[in-house]
Amino acid sequence: MTEPQTSGWNRREFFSATALLALALGLPVAAVQSTPLAPEDAPTDGQRALMADVSQLLIPATTTPGAGDVGAGGFAILALAHGLDHARAAPHNVAPYERFLRRDGSVRHVAWLESELDARANGNFSALPPAQRLGLISALDAQAFATRESESPWKAIKSLILTGYYTSEAGAAQELRYEPVPARYDPDLPLTPDFRTISNDWTAVEFG
Amino acid sequence: MQFDAIVVGSGITGGWAIKELTQAGLKVLMIERGREIVHGEYETELKAPWELPYRGVGDAAHYVREHQVQMKNRHFNEFTQGLFVNDRENPYVTGPDTDFTWFRSYQLGGRSLTWGRQTYRWSDYDFDANRRDGHGTDWPIRYADLAPWYDKVEEFIGVSGAAEGLPQLPDGKFQPPMALNVVEQHVRKVVAEKYGRCLTIGRTANLTEAKADEGRSNCQNRNICIRGCSFGAYFSTQSSTLPAAMATGNLTVVTDAIVEGIDYEPATRRVTGVRYVKTKDGTRSSATARMVFLNAGAFNSVHLLLNSRSEAMPNGLANSSGALGTQIMDHANTLSAIALFPQFNGRTTFGNRPTGAIIARYRNMDVMDGAGHTRGYSFQGGALQSNWTAGKREAGVGAALKDKLRQPGMWRFVLVGWADCIPRDSNRLTLDHAKTDRFGIPQLRIDFAFGKEEQAALAQAKEDAAEMLTAAGGTVIMGMDQPGAGGSAIHEMGGARMGHDPCTSVLNKWSQAHDIPNLFVTDGAQMASSACQNPSLTYMALTARACDAAVKMLREGAI
Repeated sequence: MTEPQTSGWNRREFFSATALLALALGLPVAAVQSTPLAPEDAPTDGQRALMADVSQLLIPATTTPGAGDVGAGGFAILALAHGLDHARAAPHNVAPYERFLRRDGSVRHVAWLESELDARANGNFSALPPAQRLGLISALDAQAFATRESESPWKAIKSLILTGYYTSEAGAAQELRYEPVPARYDPDLPLTPDFRTISNDWTAVEFG
Repeated sequence: MQFDAIVVGSGITGGWAIKELTQAGLKVLMIERGREIVHGEYETELKAPWELPYRGVGDAAHYVREHQVQMKNRHFNEFTQGLFVNDRENPYVTGPDTDFTWFRSYQLGGRSLTWGRQTYRWSDYDFDANRRDGHGTDWPIRYADLAPWYDKVEEFIGVSGAAEGLPQLPDGKFQPPMALNVVEQHVRKVVAEKYGRCLTIGRTANLTEAKADEGRSNCQNRNICIRGCSFGAYFSTQSSTLPAAMATGNLTVVTDAIVEGIDYEPATRRVTGVRYVKTKDGTRSSATARMVFLNAGAFNSVHLLLNSRSEAMPNGLANSSGALGTQIMDHANTLSAIALFPQFNGRTTFGNRPTGAIIARYRNMDVMDGAGHTRGYSFQGGALQSNWTAGKREAGVGAALKDKLRQPGMWRFVLVGWADCIPRDSNRLTLDHAKTDRFGIPQLRIDFAFGKEEQAALAQAKEDAAEMLTAAGGTVIMGMDQPGAGGSAIHEMGGARMGHDPCTSVLNKWSQAHDIPNLFVTDGAQMASSACQNPSLTYMALTARACDAAVKMLREGAI
C-alpha cells in the first residue's frame, strides 16, 4: 500500500466533501461519513505528504513496509482531528500553540507540525535530505519525551502514527504477529530473538 | 396472552430465571428492552483492526456526542460499541455531588455478553458483614443457604479455577484452572511464604473443558470475549441459559420493549402483569402473569418499582418500608500498584488468556486489622509484557524504534484494589419527574459517593500492594489510593435489599417482595452488602434459589 494520490483534492469544494475526504485519507466513505472533518482540519496536499513522510521516518521500511507505506499518516490525520488518544484535549499552556488552536482550545496538530518542522529546518523541511529530516524528527521526539509534563503535540502525532501502523495489516500481521485464534496459553516460554510481539495481545496493548 | 411468569430483562439473572422457570414447566414471557442478538452472529467478533475505520480504537469524536458515559468504560471501543447504550438516548440524572458512570448494555443477553466473567463465591465474612459492624441491615441468609445453588450454577455455566481452601473465598465446582504465567507464579510464591496470602488464577466463566452436549467449545485464548463468542466458550445468556430455556418450548421472548410499569391489584395484594413500550414505534402493550420476576439490572429494576407507584403504593411498588432505592453500592476500585519485573525479561508467553490473577481478601477476617475500615479488599490484575503501545510513551524514532517494538518489552505487574462498599442511606435512587426519556418515562436520579471507609481501605490496599510487589523483587512505579467514579466497577447493586424485617428491607430471604408475594427481584438490586469480590455468581445462585422457591409456592397455592 502507498499513500493515495489525490492531487485533485480541493479543500474548498464542499460538494461531496465527505467522499473526497475519504478518498484523500484512503478510508472507506463510511469511516468519515458520520463526522466529516471540519474544513480547518482538511489536509492540504503538502500536509498529507508531510504526514506520510514523517510516518515513514518514524517507522521506516525494513524487511516489512514502513508506516508511510501503509497510510499511517492519513490515519493519523483523521485520528488527530477526531480526538483519539485524547488529541482534542486542550493543552494547559496554550501560549506556544496559539496560532494552531481550534475554537475548542485543542491544537491542530498537523498544521503545528508543518510549521514546527519548517522552523527547525530554517526553511522547507521536506526539501532536506532524509538523514537531516530524521535528525530533526529525532530531536523533536527527544525534547517532547524529555519530561512527562511536556505537552508537545508531537506526542499525540507519534502515538497515532504508531496506532495507524501497528493496526494496519502490514504492521500487525507482517512486522508483528497477528494470532486471531491462539487456541492455547503457554505461560512461560524463553524469549528468543526470533519471537515477535503478538499485535493483538489486547491486555498488553491496553496496559503495556 | 396469560403467562405463568414474566421475566423482565435477559441478562445474567434474567437468563437464569427463564431457564429455571421454563424447566419447571411454567409458561414464561421474557421482555428485553434492547434488540435481539443471535448467538454466533456477533458483528465484530472476527474483525481485524484494519477492517475497521478507526482501527478498533473507535471514533472519539462520535463517542463524545453519543456515548459520553459508556466511553469511560475501558472495554468500550470500536469492536464493542454496539453492545453498549447510546447515552444521549438513554439519559439519567446525577445529584450535584455525584460522579457516577452507569455502564449499560441494552440488548438480548444484556451485560452477560459484555461482563468480565470473574466468578466468585461469597463467604460468611460477607453475608455476616452488616450484622458484624452495624452498617446496613443484616442478610437473612448465610453461606450454607446458598452453597448448593452455587454448586448448581457453577456446574451449568462452567467455571475454571483453582481450589485453594480459603474460608473467605470458598472453592466451587471448578473446571481445570487456567495457568498463572511465569511472573505470577513467582509472586504467588512470595506472597504465600512471606504474608500467608493467596494469589490465584482468576476464577472465570470461560470453559477449559468443552460442554459438547450444550454446543459449547473450550476457550480459544483469544480474549475478545466481550465482542461475543461464537464458540460459546464463556457464559452468556445466548451461549447457555437461553438455549436451555428455548428447548423447553415454554419460553416467549419479546425484544425492543421497555417495561414501564407493573400492575398491582390492591384487593389481592398481587401484581397482575406489566405494561411496556415498544421502542421501534412507541406503541404501548401489556401482558399478564401469575408472577413477575425483575431481572432488569439492579438500577433498572429499582427504577421500575419506583415508576410503578399507584394510589395504593404511592412511594413505589413494594416500598412500604421506604427502603426502596436506598443503600446502593458499587465496588470502590483503583489501580493500587504497577511494578516492573525486568528480571523476567528473558521469558514470555503465548496466547491471550481471558482472565487475570487475584489476591484474595485477607483483612478484617478473624482479626480486625483494617486501618480505618471494617471490611475487606482484594486485588485483581496480573503480570503482562509491554507491547507496541509502549512506543507511545517513550522517546525513539526510526529503525531502532521499529526493532525495539518487534519484541515484547518490560514485564509489569498490575494490581487493582477492590474494596467493599458500605451500604449508606444517602446513596440512593429516586425518580426525577421533571426529566423524562423519549417515551415520557421519568429519568432515574443517582445520588452516590464513597466515604471514609472506602478511602481508608484503598489507602491500605495501596500500601499493601506496593509492599508485596517490592518483596517479590519488583520496582513499584506508581500506585493510587482514590476510588474511581461510582459505577466504574460495573457492580452497581442494592436498592431493593433483602432483609429479615419488612420495615427495613424490600425483599425477604427468597428474593420475594415482603409486600407482594408474587413479585421477585433477583438481580443485583437485592444485595444488602457488596463484599469485595465480583457479584454475578451470587446473583445467579440467588436467582436459581428464588425460582425454586417461587415454583414451590406457586404449586402450593401460596402465590
